[in-house]
Amino acid sequence: MLSNDFTFSKRLLGFLFALLGAVGFVAILLIDVFDIGREGGIGPSQRIALGAMLLLVFLGLTLIPLGKHPA
Amino acid sequence: MTRSNKPVLHLPRTLLLAVATILLGFLAFVFVAYAINLMQFPFDYDQGEGFELIDTIMFSRGEFPFRDSDVYPFYASNYPPLYHVIAAPFVPLAGSAYWYGRLLGFLATLIAAAAISYAVYRAGRNRWIALLAGLAFLASNTIYHVGPLFRQHMMMVMFETLAVILLAGVNEVANRTRRRWILLLGVLLLLAAGYTKQLAAFTVVAVFAWLFIRQPRRAVVWGIGFGVAAAGIFVWLNFATNGEWWRNVIAANINRYNLDQTIGLYRLWFSLHGLLIVPAALLVIYELYFDRISIYSAWFVVAIGVGAASGQWGAGDSYFATAIAAMCILSGIFAARTLRGEWAFSANYVSRALIFPLRRLAPVLLGAGAVGIPLIYLLYGAAVFHMPTQGALFGDLARVLNLRPNTDYAFYDSAGRIAGGYADIGHFTTQADIDAGWRIVDQVRSADGEVMSEDAGFSLMAGRQPVGNPTQLLNLWMNGLLDSSALIDMINAREFGLIIFRGQLYPVDVLQAIAANYERYETIQMNGFEYLLLRPRRP
Repeated sequence: MLSNDFTFSKRLLGFLFALLGAVGFVAILLIDVFDIGREGGIGPSQRIALGAMLLLVFLGLTLIPLGKHPA
Repeated sequence: MTRSNKPVLHLPRTLLLAVATILLGFLAFVFVAYAINLMQFPFDYDQGEGFELIDTIMFSRGEFPFRDSDVYPFYASNYPPLYHVIAAPFVPLAGSAYWYGRLLGFLATLIAAAAISYAVYRAGRNRWIALLAGLAFLASNTIYHVGPLFRQHMMMVMFETLAVILLAGVNEVANRTRRRWILLLGVLLLLAAGYTKQLAAFTVVAVFAWLFIRQPRRAVVWGIGFGVAAAGIFVWLNFATNGEWWRNVIAANINRYNLDQTIGLYRLWFSLHGLLIVPAALLVIYELYFDRISIYSAWFVVAIGVGAASGQWGAGDSYFATAIAAMCILSGIFAARTLRGEWAFSANYVSRALIFPLRRLAPVLLGAGAVGIPLIYLLYGAAVFHMPTQGALFGDLARVLNLRPNTDYAFYDSAGRIAGGYADIGHFTTQADIDAGWRIVDQVRSADGEVMSEDAGFSLMAGRQPVGNPTQLLNLWMNGLLDSSALIDMINAREFGLIIFRGQLYPVDVLQAIAANYERYETIQMNGFEYLLLRPRRP
């Protein structure tokens, strides 16, 4: 990856997006697990952020079939 | 798709382009007139401009404005230094004045617009569309009212825009020495943006993320260099100010959040700029699936995300200025490419499902684009339309257009000023406003004792020591970083002969002390704002 000629392919970028989205989704859910003093469960800001993470996962999955084309 | 050369469309296209240029050119003229009007106004127009002037004066004396707000004069700044450092040489020449800070903001806005035009021309090779893209930036309601203020925001946007445009083609530069010089200059511009205003950190993230996708090694090497330089300046500033840099610029800037304000500003941003947001977004999608992702796309997506911070206390629609710059570049490239009929779709599952079935319609779509593109700019000009409704030229024009003010001033603004956080400015100042300002200055001059004002300009013009920066005191107080006891002691001892309110922005305990010890004796209107003049209550 650190060679002078390396560049991200659409597929690799897709995997990266999907991974970031999935990790981000779980991390946002975990806010409530660790921040146990709060009331009201998943708030509106969290819901929007969860939606954004799902969108990132979706984008990632749609890029994976594009193969080796440079991103 | 191939290029459409239907001569029958040339005339309507040219006519529509001409009308769009006239409309957006008129809005640029309004912007210039507004800037000239503000440069002649000797007091605060947007709350807080006077404190930026104090920062500038302090830097001109070789002093840092990152100070301990717990002690007299209870003043500190929450902004990075570069804009004020650039303005500082004006202080020995012009004294305590607002015009040079506003001139710098105005010029920075013009440079950003010119850079946007250049970027669109470089990518699209269409001079007319390039001109419209730059004018579209100036025509935006947000850019219009923030541009000519004594504020650092547009200088940050200018540095961001220049950095992004400079770096856009850096990976394609074959000559290693030239490529390194471009990278160095681009990184320095990013550093300048960050030390003009903290918000540029998101553009830095976008640029390095894009560099990483294109060439991870280059991104890592230059990212380390950038990080070391940025951290070095940060540590030096913190050391030189005994930690007040961290306290005031970082720790005090974590404020309460209003999601409704964020949602309202996103909706307003889309309702005003949607006609250019859609083509910009289409180009992002095109690059994602059929081409390489450009730095502009990465910047645009991240800049839209920055809007999520606009619901913070103290934030507002200016947080969309960077996204508007990126939008103008992307939509301009989209427009130029459509007019040249240069769309190419590589074969993949997306093109097979969505694009190839429409191939037969390509000539029709390109013909529609030839007329649609100028129409988009024309309708965009109508969507963002704003102008004063009084004055020699504007008053007559407003009557001809049957345009009535929809704000509290003699000013029409298509934004309607319904979203919280949308700056309630843009109107022109009048001689009556200037006279009202000098009346307040007279009160400051004749006050017996110290004077504390939510606008610093009155104290500066009266030659008195400005006391307190209300919004920064509130920032610090909300984060538990302010010991207001010394200020409250002065208020309780009625050491201030005059206190001037504009928005009652001080911390709650300070406001309570003022309410207990001071009474309003006069209200003076300036710029549509009510300035409350308070004196010590009589025993």
